[in-house]
Parts: sequence; structure tokens; C-alpha cells
Amino acid sequence: MTDVMLGLKGVTKTYPGFRLGPVDLDIERGYIVAVVGPNGSGKSTLFRLLMGLTHPDAGQIRRFGAATGDDIAIASRIGYVPERAIGHDQMSALDLGTFYAHWYPAFDRERYDAAIDAMGIEWGKAFGKLSKGMQRRVSYTLAMATDPELLLLDELTDGVDPFARREMTTDIAGFMETGERTVVFATHNMDEVRRLADYVVLLVNGRFLGMYEKDALVHGWRRAWLERQPDSETPGVVSVSAGEPVEVVSSLWGETARSLAAQGIVIERTAPVDLTEILERVMNGAEGADGERPWPVAGETRSVRMP
Amino acid sequence: MSVTSSGRLPLVVSLDDPEPMYRQIEHQVRRLILGGQLSPGTALPSVRALASDLACSVITTRRAYQELESGGFIRTRQGMGTVVAELSEGARDAFRREPVEQAIREAVREGIDAGMTGAELREVFEKAIVGERGHEEVSGD
Repeated sequence: MTDVMLGLKGVTKTYPGFRLGPVDLDIERGYIVAVVGPNGSGKSTLFRLLMGLTHPDAGQIRRFGAATGDDIAIASRIGYVPERAIGHDQMSALDLGTFYAHWYPAFDRERYDAAIDAMGIEWGKAFGKLSKGMQRRVSYTLAMATDPELLLLDELTDGVDPFARREMTTDIAGFMETGERTVVFATHNMDEVRRLADYVVLLVNGRFLGMYEKDALVHGWRRAWLERQPDSETPGVVSVSAGEPVEVVSSLWGETARSLAAQGIVIERTAPVDLTEILERVMNGAEGADGERPWPVAGETRSVRMP
Repeated sequence: MSVTSSGRLPLVVSLDDPEPMYRQIEHQVRRLILGGQLSPGTALPSVRALASDLACSVITTRRAYQELESGGFIRTRQGMGTVVAELSEGARDAFRREPVEQAIREAVREGIDAGMTGAELREVFEKAIVGERGHEEVSGD
């Protein structure tokens, strides 16, 4: 039996001048999914849809296996850190603690209080007067203290210093320890994707460019230097640069290497391709007609599944 | 020296290695177990903790653990986590010898290809043992 935490089927959302989707993906319990893409790709819209703060124009979203709408019971199982915490600005850390304790039955006040003290935040100071990084940390602390099953983190670490950032990464890994919880996070920081994610969802200008198993994606790509030009039909090759030696980039290195061996081409050296470059190439490759890539990519999946 | 579950496992996965990451983890953990650095009963990190240490996904670490479990090196019990399994002396010995025997077989094949006789090969082998003794004591004689 599969345990789908978030199931999206043909989901679209249109605003004047912007359209997200259609998005089709299943995210199962126990996984960390990173959502990446340039600014204005629709990441925050996707999070608002997942949180039930806005509804799709078409398609269906199932949360915790149910298709019902903005049920308060569902919302209380989700820890959401929005890009901008609306309505928090005038409230102090003390007010926020009281507010959450009232609305979330599982809110752990002691844990929240201890975390706020550890950060050295003045209890009476308005949220809006805190630095951006501190605001992010308070929002995160609030979300975590509700003991959620699902964490939705929209640009969590934006403006957060590298030490607190690292602490959060470790904390999220600890949160995921039992395998019973699920995290979806949007970020511009590739190091976080590398350190945390099991799967990567790519969004560009509202277009869903697929979900990829991170390790298969990274391991599938390779840059290689060859003694001579390979056959134009060589599988997996996405680019060839003329020169001595010939530099090629492959999106399916296993198949490329086999084909090169059959062609009798000596591989002089290979190197991994950086995750940022991989995602950039996948984005650019999809810029052609109908968003169809001319080449396949390792690790692509529409559904997060147990092996 | 033994490794405890409270510390990180001394594993290094590299993208430069053509072996898939789960294989790299599997081989390194197996070596730690066979080498005695991880003794039977030692608790191993959860798939998530290991994934976080190595910056890989739980898909990779789970697969490595599955391979190790089917090889009889580790045991996973519901709610109890994963521990190093008790290996029989015979099994441990066989695993220890296997890569060595394979390397020697390959060396012998090279020698035969190069036209060496059995006596010559024995001489090379003896010389290699004597040579290695300079750096490291070869026990058992």
C-alpha cells in the first residue's frame, strides 16, 4: 500500500499574466522534497495550494489521502512557514506563542519558549521589528512546535546566517528520523538541496519540469573528455564542445560510456557535473517547443515511491 | 578501535567514483564489519541520519542497508533500528579471503599471459611477501 501525503493531479492555477501547471506528482510519507526554480516560477503559489490557502482552477489536490478542501483538521497537521508571515508583524514572540497555543492543540509551549530564549529574542519585541533571519527562525520554531506530520517550508533560510542555517538542516534531518513525516521545501540554496533532499521538483515560469530522484540525477550526469568526436547518435550526450580533447556532457552516463566503448573511443577523464549546472541544463533543455526535452534525464519520476 | 553509533560512521562517498553511491556505502560498511571496527550488536545510524551525514538521499542509504541485510551483515528490527549482525567465523573468513584470492587469481592470470612458469610465479609471490614485510608485519609465520 502506498502512503501518499500529497497527491497532485493536473493542478493548474492562473493569475493575470501567470499560470502554474499542470502539476502532476505524488509525494509519499518519509521523504524530503526540494522545490527549485528561478524567482517567479510559482513556488510560493504551489505552497499556498498545498496549504489550502488558495484553490486550483483545475485538477485535484489530495492531502493525507483526502481530497477535502480547507479543513482545519488538515491544516493543524501541517507546519507551514510562508515566504512572508502575514499578520505577524504587530505581534510579539509572546503573543505568537499564546496565539498558536490556542489554535494548535499539539502546540508545545515549553519547547517554543526554550527555543525563543535560546535565540535571545526579546519576548515583547514585535515580529515585524526582528531581522529577516530572526523572523524566519521564529516562524520555523512556531511550525515545529505544532509537532506537524508535514512541513511546508517556503524559502525557510532566506536571510538566515550560515550557522543557524546549518542548525536548521540538522534539525530537519532529526525531525525526519522516524520516517513518519514529510518535508517539502523551496530554496535557492543548492547546498541545502544537496544536504537535505531525496527528490527535486523543478519549476520554471510556472511550468512543472518533473520530479527527480536526487542521487540518480546527480550520478547520471557526467562530463567527459574524449580523444575524438563521438557518433552523433551516442545516447545520453547533451552537449559536445569541439577541441582537444573533445568535451561532452552526458545525462545518462552509463549508456554513454557503453556506447563510447563500442565505438572504440578512449575516455581520457571524467568529472561529476554540479547540481546547479544539471538543473540549469534541464531547464534550458525544456525551453524548446512544448517543453519537450530532446534527451532523457536519469532519475526522473512522477511519483515518490518506496523502492 | 571500535566505532559506536553515537559517532558518525567513517564513510566517504564520492561522485568521482563510478560505483553507485549505495554500492560505495555497502562496500565500506562491509569492510568496517569484516575488519572488526563495527562489532556485532553495534547500532547503526538510521537511514535518514546516514543520508544526512553523507548528503545523499534515504533512497540510497535504504538500498545500501537492504543489500547489507540480504548479505547477512546487518539486521533491522521494527522499532529497534539496525544493528551489526553476528557473523560466523567461517563466513567472516570467507569474506576476508575472497577479495585477496581474487586479486591473486588475477595476478596469476597476468603472469600466465606474460608467459611465466609456476616456479617463476611462486618466486614473485614469495618476493612480494618479503617486500611487504618491510612496511607491515605479515603474521602467521
